[in-house]
Amino acid sequence: MLTLAILIPLIGAVILAFAPPANRQATRLAALATALLPLIVLIVVWMGFDTSPDAPAFQAVEDFAWIPTLGVGWRVGVDGISLVIATMSALVFAASIAWPIELDDRSRQYYAWLLFLESVSLAVFLVLDLLLFYVFFDLSLVGMFFLISRWGHGEAQSAALKFFLYTFVGSLAILLAIIALVLAGDGPLTFDMRVLITRHPYGAGGWAAGLTLFGFLFGFAIKTPLFPLHTWLPPAHVNAPAPASAILAGVLLKMGTYGLIRIPMSMMPETFARYAPILGAFAVASILWGAFVALGQADMKRRIAYTSINHMGYAVLGIAAAGSLFFGSEGARQLALTGAVVEMVAHGLITGSLFLMTGIFWRRAKTYQLDAYGGIAGVAPKLTALFILAAFASLGLPGLAGFVAEFQVFAGTFAVYPWFAGLGLIGILITAALFLTMVQRVFFGELPADRRLFSDLTPSEYAIVGVLLTLVVVIGVYPRWLLAPIHAAAAAITAGPLG
Amino acid sequence: MIVWLLFLIPLIGGLILLIGPIHRSWFAGASSTTCLATLAAAMIANGSRSASIIEWGGPLRLTATLTPMSALVAMLVPIVAAAVIAYASAHEDSCGLRRLIGLLVLFVAGMELLLIADDFLTVLIGWEAVGACSWALIGHQWRDAEAGESAIYAFIATRLGDLGLFVSAMAVFAGSGSFAFAGLSQLSSGYLALAAAGVTVSAAAKSGQVPFAPWLFRAMAGPTSVSALLHAATMVAAGAYLLLRLQPMLAPVAWFGPVVIGIGLATALTGGLVALVQPHAKKLLAASTSAHYGLMFVATGAGFPLVALFHLVAHALFKSLLFLVAGIAGERAGDYQLRHMGFGALMPMIAGASAIGALALAGVPPLGAGWTKEQIVSAAGSHSALLAILVMLAGMLSAAYAARFHLLSFGIVKDENITSYFPAPVEKAMPALLAIGSIALGALWLGGVHTGLSHQLGGALPDGQLWEIGASLALVVVGLVLGDAAARRRDLGTAGRAAMVADWLGLPRLVDASLVRPILLLSTLAARADDRIVDTGVTCTAWFGQTVSTLVTLADARIVDAGVAWTAWISRQLSCLGSGIGEAMTDGLPTYAARLVATGGQQSVRLQTGMTHHYYVIIVGGIVGVVALLLLGL
Repeated sequence: MLTLAILIPLIGAVILAFAPPANRQATRLAALATALLPLIVLIVVWMGFDTSPDAPAFQAVEDFAWIPTLGVGWRVGVDGISLVIATMSALVFAASIAWPIELDDRSRQYYAWLLFLESVSLAVFLVLDLLLFYVFFDLSLVGMFFLISRWGHGEAQSAALKFFLYTFVGSLAILLAIIALVLAGDGPLTFDMRVLITRHPYGAGGWAAGLTLFGFLFGFAIKTPLFPLHTWLPPAHVNAPAPASAILAGVLLKMGTYGLIRIPMSMMPETFARYAPILGAFAVASILWGAFVALGQADMKRRIAYTSINHMGYAVLGIAAAGSLFFGSEGARQLALTGAVVEMVAHGLITGSLFLMTGIFWRRAKTYQLDAYGGIAGVAPKLTALFILAAFASLGLPGLAGFVAEFQVFAGTFAVYPWFAGLGLIGILITAALFLTMVQRVFFGELPADRRLFSDLTPSEYAIVGVLLTLVVVIGVYPRWLLAPIHAAAAAITAGPLG
Repeated sequence: MIVWLLFLIPLIGGLILLIGPIHRSWFAGASSTTCLATLAAAMIANGSRSASIIEWGGPLRLTATLTPMSALVAMLVPIVAAAVIAYASAHEDSCGLRRLIGLLVLFVAGMELLLIADDFLTVLIGWEAVGACSWALIGHQWRDAEAGESAIYAFIATRLGDLGLFVSAMAVFAGSGSFAFAGLSQLSSGYLALAAAGVTVSAAAKSGQVPFAPWLFRAMAGPTSVSALLHAATMVAAGAYLLLRLQPMLAPVAWFGPVVIGIGLATALTGGLVALVQPHAKKLLAASTSAHYGLMFVATGAGFPLVALFHLVAHALFKSLLFLVAGIAGERAGDYQLRHMGFGALMPMIAGASAIGALALAGVPPLGAGWTKEQIVSAAGSHSALLAILVMLAGMLSAAYAARFHLLSFGIVKDENITSYFPAPVEKAMPALLAIGSIALGALWLGGVHTGLSHQLGGALPDGQLWEIGASLALVVVGLVLGDAAARRRDLGTAGRAAMVADWLGLPRLVDASLVRPILLLSTLAARADDRIVDTGVTCTAWFGQTVSTLVTLADARIVDAGVAWTAWISRQLSCLGSGIGEAMTDGLPTYAARLVATGGQQSVRLQTGMTHHYYVIIVGGIVGVVALLLLGL
């Protein structure tokens, strides 16, 4: 079943890449139909997902031997965490593919790359084999590199190159760490994540464990990105086309935090716990630095890009707190981890829709400068309403998804690292300031004369952002259906090696 | 489940109004119906005290219940809101009126949510929801950039306070494993002190206490009816309400009472001074709002939350009334400068309502507000005589600015007719209704009424001393005379030192210089540093790599040749790879990687014999390799 979620978009990509030229609209619809199938597959898996306490951690598992001598196999399956992140990713992909964008005659290639990226991105979250994880992790860079460099604007080439090289260095570190992790410990050689999670190859740790952990943290921190390894992110966002930006923020960044939870935190919990305070400190630095730098930006896309660093900081803070086996109660750590995962989902939906909406500004007026706008509320009331809703969701207003995440992260973290939680709270305040001033400068005040013809959302734009933000509201009002699977997985992880 | 209706009815009503028809009588009818239905729900729900829970999962659950005290506020809010919103649907500018009315009703929904909340999660949701509503309402006239900036200022200032509530929630969870208010009783003293600090800061910010008071001034950028609702029944009232709701549980913290009294008293006295000289009618009322919530803080801090509750009710009735009449006077005068007003002869009915409101603000018997203020004096007196005298002085200031407000706006007749505006019947009826409410509240002076109510609400009243009431009433008379004298100087507060006092004693400028500007400067510097310094490591590495390769190229042409040959070779390999790209993508890459791992596996088998130091060397080699790649690759 889950294999289908990976294969369908891949087959779609291959067909689109080699199919005869067709008209642009038909290509887009075909791509959208293909992208909706994995979403349906994941929803079906979600419906059948068992969240009772004695249910197996990984469900919908498929396991085929591939290179038995090395213990490598085609293994897919989900626990509550990967299930919700993969489903959110599939939704963001469907929205991004549906998003209308001006293309030259290369529309087939554009949609083929998007579907390819969807396939490998979903695979990152669904596979249960470390080697496959690494391969798909790297392939996602390839897909994003081509999307930015070929369909971006401005300094797309250099931004794409910087993105690729920077994150590639990170994934090399991850590769080395994976090899070290697999070779450590007793028992037959295997890349099976489930085996490694129960085996804890490093046990109580040591120098080698520390170095391996460093490899993982370094690699995933670049991907997340964590201060001070974040400088590839703003140029990549600013120069990418809007749907690619939405995917980059909504899906690709999650690979970093998901990787942190799935590999170092689950497979080497004692070593992770030892270095968790350091990770937490970097998370707090990201929260504050991301917020302050975002407030200083005059370009709306850069501003939103930096809020990603701030929001992913919340997620990493929750992960660091959850992994600190030596402090806090299990209930608090579980809450922190649940919050971190909800933050990933919420950030994907909220920032995804914010980046899609910035595409409207580029399409209509070819600039992201805040001061080039003003009074847009008068000519585009629908865009104003949805943008304000997304902005409030992003600044963590209760009743919307971001709050559910941040509240849990802070409440859980406080019981583990009170000072980190206290300092991180300042981030909430600065985020409020930066979003409200952005809304003020773009939508309110006098309408400049050259913006009189700025048109409101088209029905399809309205529908796409509307679907994403409806979910944001639903999660904010009644998140129980989302929290149940995450809780089940978080309980298993935070129980630690003793549990 | 019926208790949730208190929140759901105005929520749904507000959403319907936001998308419903655009017609003034529909606005008035639909909003009043919503408010009255909310009131009915509150009365029905008041019958049961059981908590109703909505599970979110894990320790997250939304709990709603009505205590006797919260039920009283929950009934007060829709009554005041019905009058204010009916007035708004006749009074306010038709541009964007539908949005205004809808948001006002949603504002009520947020307030009801925090009133029924029985845990920190639920209260935080309502708490921030009213903050967001106030942002939208203050910035209602969005084409005016200044209104928008004032809205941001108000939201950020109150959100700064909201962080306190976050801290309280975190402390309660860390100490008790749940977010329920009841968890406060299980906390260790450290966590309880933290929770108390958080609640105090949030309440002070929401209720416009020092040092957060200036945001109430900025909130005056919104329409008058917004101010009326915001000051009387929602938003600002939330701070005092939460404090009196949680006072019994926070009282064990030694410093809690004195600190709350200190904040309240400081605000009551400074707010009184500010209001006395403030030339802007709405800002005068805003400063008086801070001052009166300060008095409620004093009563709560002294251990008499019930007294604070009574004053909250009295204040809601007379303050909404005063804002409504100020809106009428301001409309007539063309602006809100008191020196441009004086319409007693033109609008005798409004002037009468204004006089009742002003007398209530002054605390003159037999109005109910007079009784509640004397109760605050007694509550302070049970703490110390000095505190009672300070509260009396605050009462004197209150009488002075109340007299000044009324005499300038509706008392002293001024013949200039600036606009030809006359209020519609609804605009006149609503202040009259609220005035009747204020008069009816005078029943509180009757012994049977207030003891009966205090039994029902489950709170204690202070034992008053006779000298207190005598001295207090004498000071009220002094205040009224003082106010009359101040009203004769029509230009008071427009220039000189008085103007500085009128601008919250320079507090806004202090906040601006010490907080707002440093943060903006810091963010600009951080943005520059992020581009120039944090990224430098990466760009320098890239530059270093390029420079080295350039130097090498210059030094030895043969390397160039080799490089060319090498590039050609790479290209050939790439093209070979490219021709079989499908093969490589699905199978090749994993296979090569697998082979690499296989080699590693064999190595490791050899190293299993205990020579693990070799293995570390390999790891270190790998790390060095990564670093080398980093240096050369970028």
